[in-house]
Amino acid sequence: MAENRLGILDMFVAGARRGFNISMTGMLPNVVMAFVVIRFLNLSGLLTLISKIAAPLMAVFGLPGEAVVVLVTAFMSTGGGCGSAAALAASGSISYVHATQLLPCIILMGSMIQYMGRCLGTADASRKYWWLHCVISVMNGLLALWVMKILILFTG
Amino acid sequence: MDSNIKQETNVTWVSYLVLFIVIVIFSGIFAKSTGIFKAVDFGQLVGDFGKIPFEKGYNFRGTGGSGAKDGFLMALQLTPPVILALGIVSICEGYGGLMAAHRLLSPLFRPLLGIPGICGLAFIASLQSTDTGGGMTKELFDSGFISDQERTIFCQFQLSGDATITNYFGSGAALFPFLILPLGLPLLVIFFFKILGANIMRFIINMDFKRQADNTAH
Repeated sequence: MAENRLGILDMFVAGARRGFNISMTGMLPNVVMAFVVIRFLNLSGLLTLISKIAAPLMAVFGLPGEAVVVLVTAFMSTGGGCGSAAALAASGSISYVHATQLLPCIILMGSMIQYMGRCLGTADASRKYWWLHCVISVMNGLLALWVMKILILFTG
Repeated sequence: MDSNIKQETNVTWVSYLVLFIVIVIFSGIFAKSTGIFKAVDFGQLVGDFGKIPFEKGYNFRGTGGSGAKDGFLMALQLTPPVILALGIVSICEGYGGLMAAHRLLSPLFRPLLGIPGICGLAFIASLQSTDTGGGMTKELFDSGFISDQERTIFCQFQLSGDATITNYFGSGAALFPFLILPLGLPLLVIFFFKILGANIMRFIINMDFKRQADNTAH
């Protein structure tokens, strides 16, 4: 075997290092930003206002009005979406059930703006369908909200 | 983000065994078991911080925090699981577990997604990195291994929930403390919809193609 395989501990450490980098430079700034945004929205009273306006729409998915903040942030940044959902769950604005329900949605429609460039652009995918890629991805996320709701109901 | 995918990792029975063990670790099926199998559950391996002995025994993050400081400590709390998860994935990769997954899955690509099995490596790469998946897809097209239509279908699969493993265990870890379902279940839902979305694209493209063919025929 010509390949020089690292020992198992070296493999772990290499991955752990990547995990540390992703966590400290990716997740942490997003979570801090999200907590600050939620704090701002709370202090300014905007969160109450936004959640009142969005409540009927979010109710379609069985979510409180505040969840619209998660969806909008997720569309711009997966890390931001996860962070804002965590911030809302930590402050009790959304429940554990809602947070669980939101996770696949955030991942499926997350970072759509940047990923369209980094995936479709890099792959040089046909421009004709870029809008459809975006629509399908968002639809995936929203449908996942319902599927998760059903799954949560089934597993009690 | 860099991927460690090597072109020539040997796939042996060890690779399949490692892959199986890693799936069990992340699935959450042993999270609540009382026997020795608890030892292979990801959540159990992550463990708990010790409690600061105030009256209700909260950990270092305390209670009632807010803003940047609270967010910082929360993210700090979430770092050990991310380190552990990617360390485990790295071991899986090193033993060829990801290539074993590729071998198991590639016969399914044609029926499930309408793309050829040769997309397997790009498929695995896209689970860890958006840019790598996109780049390898472009190479597949430029080398004539996939058509423009197959590229579009494959791109749809990738785009929705791109860098799935990295995002789920990286950013998604922010929500792990709040999950009320086993860890692997939301991930399965994500894959279900990635496949569904790709098939919706597949259907629409085929309709479009047929319509264009009809138009040119007349």
